[in-house]
Amino acid sequence: MALPKKQVKPYLPLTYPKTLLARRHQIADMISNDGTYLPKSLLHADLDRGFLDFVKGSLETIVEGSKIPVVDILITSQNWSQFVETWDFQNIDKNVEPPFITVIRNPEVKYGNNPSVMYNIPNRRTYYYMQVPTWDGQRNGMDIYKIPQPVPIDIKFTVAIVCNRMREINKFNQIINQTFASRQAYQVIKGHYIPIINDGMADESVMDVDKRKYYIQKYDFTMMGFLLDEDDFEVSPAISRTFTMFEVDLKTKKKKQRRPIPNVPPSTTLNYEVGVIELSKEFEYTCNLSLIKSENVSSYDIYINDFYYGSDLFEIQINTNDLLKIVIVKNDVNLVSVLEFSEDLL
Amino acid sequence: MAKNVPITRLGKFFGEEDFNLEIDMGQEWLIGDMNFTCVLYRVDKNKIKIDDVYGEVLQDGIKFLPPVEFNAYVQIVAPTNQKIGSTKIQQYEPGNITMSVYLKTLDDLDIDINLGDYVGYYDSENFVRYYTVVDDGRVYSDLKHTYKGYKPFFRSIIGSYVTPDEFRAL
Repeated sequence: MALPKKQVKPYLPLTYPKTLLARRHQIADMISNDGTYLPKSLLHADLDRGFLDFVKGSLETIVEGSKIPVVDILITSQNWSQFVETWDFQNIDKNVEPPFITVIRNPEVKYGNNPSVMYNIPNRRTYYYMQVPTWDGQRNGMDIYKIPQPVPIDIKFTVAIVCNRMREINKFNQIINQTFASRQAYQVIKGHYIPIINDGMADESVMDVDKRKYYIQKYDFTMMGFLLDEDDFEVSPAISRTFTMFEVDLKTKKKKQRRPIPNVPPSTTLNYEVGVIELSKEFEYTCNLSLIKSENVSSYDIYINDFYYGSDLFEIQINTNDLLKIVIVKNDVNLVSVLEFSEDLL
Repeated sequence: MAKNVPITRLGKFFGEEDFNLEIDMGQEWLIGDMNFTCVLYRVDKNKIKIDDVYGEVLQDGIKFLPPVEFNAYVQIVAPTNQKIGSTKIQQYEPGNITMSVYLKTLDDLDIDINLGDYVGYYDSENFVRYYTVVDDGRVYSDLKHTYKGYKPFFRSIIGSYVTPDEFRAL
């Protein structure tokens, strides 16, 4: 009967894990923890070290009570360095004794495919990251910390297990498949979450008849990292004190009087008393006059600025400062005559 | 303590005394007559300071134990005139050095030569070229390295040229 081997949680969590903005603040604190306010620099060696730690930690393989050792450096060109990390599992011929796990890094590092940081801000411009309060002994101020967008890189790693037993490669395979069940795993390097993707595996086991038989299985990974160089960070002082000044013209100018808004009557009425047959009116505006009322008028002649305009017209066009003169012929000379025009202001 | 098992093969006409005599005569020839001298710089892996990712040190950062002179039969491969990889840079690459050294010589000097150690070999009175051990010949069970199948008696150590950027005995 299967029994749980892992210990059940000894306590119940009393607080909820942080989410959304609070979680983002928490991650930002992780990035700058134990240092300055700025994020820690992240370069190739940091990413390589992080991957080695990932293999040592997350992919730790224990078979029958013994841990499969990991060669804890990336073997490079200096031949003696292999011994430094493998002396404790060498045989009498000073050969590394299986089982062991080793990490190979492809030397070429290409521009990364991490979509969050690729090709979206040109020219490595620096951006506001944080403002930090300062005190120079006399007054408070602020420093503005600016950093450029990190440069994405993809680093290819191969993790190889060399062993003599099938159960060792089975266990290692199980751990890798469980770790990468969601295609990717994360390694926290200097506070940054760096995704690692499993690209596949290959078997290079040596099973020749006339040779020593052993298993080699290689797993390929891509670390989707980014480069963040602290030499690119900018710290510049912010404004600590402002002095606001206004300049005004002391010369007084006479204010030009505004022209009064004409009080436009809705209509113009011309009352011709007894004995009067001619009336004039000057207009200070442009309008159209339309005849709306005519009493005791047989006919009428219209003059504008003493120029004959027409007779018995129902509509008269008036321009500003025009002098309108209307001469009428009454039906009954003993009565008062009236002409009333409506005004349409133009 | 390891149990010593006497070697009795070829015992009808060859034995330990004959073997030792042959080695003595060979050493007399190699050391007394030939006298090819190499200088061994053993990397002091306890004192060396390496980075924890690549296990590398910078120029002149390699710590080594006191240099030891030893005699060996030296063969140096002819240099090759070639380009560096796919670059257009041409260089005259010195060939590898093969040093055949008596096991007894190593025992007498109480030294061991390991992978990655450095060896200096004087080309002339005022010029020494350094090599790094790429094959320390530690496994010498094959017939060539035994005295007619009786016991191993020498190691073939292969060194590859290093530039002063990696090692220059400082």
